[in-house]
Amino acid sequence: MVYQQKITVLSGKSTDLVKITRRIKQIVEKAGIRSGIVAVVTLHTTTGITVNEGLDCLESDIGAFMRKIVPDDDSYAHAHWLPTYGRTSANAVSHLRSLLTGNHCVFPVCEGKMLLGAAQDIYLAEYDGPQSREISVSVIGD
Amino acid sequence: MVIDMHVHPGFIAEIAGDPERVAFRRKHFGLYKQHIWPLKLALMQMEAAGIEKAALMPEDLTTGCGDTIVSNEEIRQLVDLAPERFIGFASVDPHRPDAEETLEYAFEQLHLSGLRMNPSTQRFRPNDGIAEPLYELCMRYNRPVVLDMGMSLEPDAPSKYALPVLLEDVLLQYPQLRVCASHFAFPWVAETAALMLRYRNLYADTALLYFDSPKGFFDQVFNRQLGSHWLDRTLRKQVMFASNYPRIEQSRMAEALRSLELRPSTLDLIFGGNAETFLGGEGK
Repeated sequence: MVYQQKITVLSGKSTDLVKITRRIKQIVEKAGIRSGIVAVVTLHTTTGITVNEGLDCLESDIGAFMRKIVPDDDSYAHAHWLPTYGRTSANAVSHLRSLLTGNHCVFPVCEGKMLLGAAQDIYLAEYDGPQSREISVSVIGD
Repeated sequence: MVIDMHVHPGFIAEIAGDPERVAFRRKHFGLYKQHIWPLKLALMQMEAAGIEKAALMPEDLTTGCGDTIVSNEEIRQLVDLAPERFIGFASVDPHRPDAEETLEYAFEQLHLSGLRMNPSTQRFRPNDGIAEPLYELCMRYNRPVVLDMGMSLEPDAPSKYALPVLLEDVLLQYPQLRVCASHFAFPWVAETAALMLRYRNLYADTALLYFDSPKGFFDQVFNRQLGSHWLDRTLRKQVMFASNYPRIEQSRMAEALRSLELRPSTLDLIFGGNAETFLGGEGK
């Protein structure tokens, strides 16, 4: 059995880590699946889905790490006019940072609940906000 | 006060409920893959960019394409939804037989704050007699004029109508009319700067991004094509911040402006002080 739902997140800053753990837990409990997995997938190329400990200090460190690995200002080939869009792309950093967090996470589902470690939180990582973001949640099992 | 003087609101959900109208906008405005998003998100994006007010630009292509990209009434609708955040401009196709009545209605009944025209898409030269009655109405109502000059990013928009030198007759004929050469009339930025030196009622905005990143392009234009001190020393009271959103994010354009080596007082003028003068007409 597969239960699928999309959720929308309005990110409020240009780069942001938005906790979505509670919303995913609620979807899993609503799905009516006792045993299986839940896959959380972002539908965008300038965001990520990542799992980490939900502390402000770590969120700050993750942001600093991203800026260090992918600097705001560099000679990015993606910075140019896109005729098929009718606009300029200036978000190479957003695409590159999204590589580092990936587009999804997966958790086990046991006895109808998501099996989450005590320190684990699920984040939507926003790299090109503020934006309206869609996330697909699939609960797969019996 | 930070004011973004050139924002296109056609993809804000509150005025984008009709799919046919949205398709028309994508085609004729040339923003082919733009998503629709709610006003709430547009305001969040302004907030994140540190922008307090945005001037909303409609475009009337009635005689050439059969419709407006955004109408004056839709601009009024958005301004009413966020009056503290939006400044509404009017647009009139100067070839309309009722052009004067339409503009007078926009000023008198819709209480819009200025006139925006795009000579390239509307197919007129700014110094054509056809626009004179509209300039005179702007004078009578003490409203400024924003003209899209230089190379337009909209489709079917020949640049020959938007050479900045065409503004000179207008500036001579109407020395009290506040005129903005939007997009700094790129690529004719040096010509625009020269006109601004000569005519103090000519403004230009920073809604220009044609190559590279916003920071890279601003460095190219404001430090290389123009002398690196020209904004700070000579043109500081005639340049207004503008993003051209949603062709580019407002936050990136604001960062690009901040990356130029300008005095804080010059930045204050460009980010908002000059727009207040342009809109309100206080003495410079």
